[in-house]
Amino acid sequence: MIEGEPEKVNGFGRSNSTGLMPPPSVIWALAIAFVTLIVYLSRGFVLLLFLSATIAYLLNPIVKVAEAAMIKRRVAVSVIYLGIGVAFLVTSYFVFPRLRAEVNTLSGNLPFFGQRFDEAVDVLQNEIVERYPAADGLFTTRELRYEKLNDFIEQQVADLPLLLGHLASIVLAGVLIPFFSFFFLRDSRKIVKFVLDRLPANHIETTVAVWCEIDRTVGRYLRGLAIEGIVVGVSAALGLTILGVNYPLLLGLVTGFANIVPYLGPIIGGATAVLVALIQFKSLTVIAQVVILYLSLKLLDLVAIQPLAVGKGNDLHPVLLIASIIVGEHALGIIGMIIAVPTITILQKIASLLLERRRYSSRMLHSRPKSDVQLQTYVC
Amino acid sequence: MKVHSMAKWHWLEHVRDREQLLRLKVLANVPLFAGLSRRQLGKLLVKFFEKEYPSGETIFREGEPGKALFIVLTGRVSICRSLKKEEELLATLTAGGYFGELALIDDQPRFASVRALEPSVLLILYKSDFDDLIEGHRTLAIRVMGNLLKTLAAYVRRAQTQANGRNSMSPGRTSAPDQRTVTSEDVPRD
Repeated sequence: MIEGEPEKVNGFGRSNSTGLMPPPSVIWALAIAFVTLIVYLSRGFVLLLFLSATIAYLLNPIVKVAEAAMIKRRVAVSVIYLGIGVAFLVTSYFVFPRLRAEVNTLSGNLPFFGQRFDEAVDVLQNEIVERYPAADGLFTTRELRYEKLNDFIEQQVADLPLLLGHLASIVLAGVLIPFFSFFFLRDSRKIVKFVLDRLPANHIETTVAVWCEIDRTVGRYLRGLAIEGIVVGVSAALGLTILGVNYPLLLGLVTGFANIVPYLGPIIGGATAVLVALIQFKSLTVIAQVVILYLSLKLLDLVAIQPLAVGKGNDLHPVLLIASIIVGEHALGIIGMIIAVPTITILQKIASLLLERRRYSSRMLHSRPKSDVQLQTYVC
Repeated sequence: MKVHSMAKWHWLEHVRDREQLLRLKVLANVPLFAGLSRRQLGKLLVKFFEKEYPSGETIFREGEPGKALFIVLTGRVSICRSLKKEEELLATLTAGGYFGELALIDDQPRFASVRALEPSVLLILYKSDFDDLIEGHRTLAIRVMGNLLKTLAAYVRRAQTQANGRNSMSPGRTSAPDQRTVTSEDVPRD
């Protein structure tokens, strides 16, 4: 494999780019600003691509196993999608009728929701006042509460056309996301190779390093999040079934999905379950049981599920994490909150690797970095 | 029986990735991965990136931070080292040749520069990806690390021999060989 013996040759001249070109940092800053602007302007489409890429990320480890067994990538991806399709049909057959029944019951009960909620709150207030008479002054009057509730319901009804508009987008996304993710998954190697082939050689190692770090961190985070969502959702559905709360499947689904949103998600999931339990049982004891169930789930999530599923995927500082979620919510709503963490993780990884390279280059100008290994004065 | 085997052949033909099999063959002949099973090589292979380099393009330069191992899939590359104002050609690698393996061990700068002598396709293995792989695969880790150590031992012996040769010519000098002069690319790969 090695041809030729050492000989003297000339070459490897580094081209000196002097001229009117601005410094690379300015070009980079302008490029980043331009890309950010484009992403913001076409955020709807970018979001669609992001969600498709997320699904592709989640399925990529399975494809890699197939690739390691020398199976064609497109065959592996097709088989996986076929498997998902079959699983979806089986789930539809067994779970969807029950879920649909729950949705139908819920929609049938919705017109009476305000009244039932009001009654439940009344019963609960009386129960609390009976037990703790001092708490009597803490509650608002029934009229005021009724007025607030009516306002809330009216607002929701007014937003209904908007919601239906969103529903069309959701259905479209439901079709487009699997479609895009299929091609992302099938052609991801080609896409990466296409990008690498067009990059100058001196940026290859840093690019590969950045890509690998993103792949590892974000991939682990997203896969962990999916596993976490499924485990928490299923556990919540089981727990609510045991407690006898209505709509356990629907609530489990909501809890699982809500769990994707950091910090706020578990509260949303828990609050929804408490609301349903409140209307159904009108009892402080069951509400306490539901709260304990959700607290236990959170504890289980923190102690067992997160360390196992997410691992070290996300090592962001909590302040940066919360700040990113707030910014994400302002930019893209709930979806923004979900994608905030992976986005900020990607940016953090890119910045740290580029800074490392910059530090390395500046250090190299002055001295060659020394190895931290203590060498002996002999070898034998 | 014959019909069955024909059907099986056709089935495999449609499912097996021929390009990936070719890459696997190249990888199996790399001394660094000697002794690995086909399954282990497959696991390793999916960690590689692939890039085409046009003729004359510098792959990396001496002194740059090293983060990856390179394997020549097709084409030819030259490995050179600066020597005062000139550059010494250390080796020319063809398909199956590898360079930059020290980047898998530490993050020291590159010892030599590498350039594509003709349009070449290289496989690139990033250090952290390699670390991730060996973390979960003990046998693979032991084999590859063993091969890497053999390579390093060869460097050391060669440097020692060169230093002894120099010492015999200049009797006053008795210091140990300067290990920094050992290059990652000048290992004999026979």
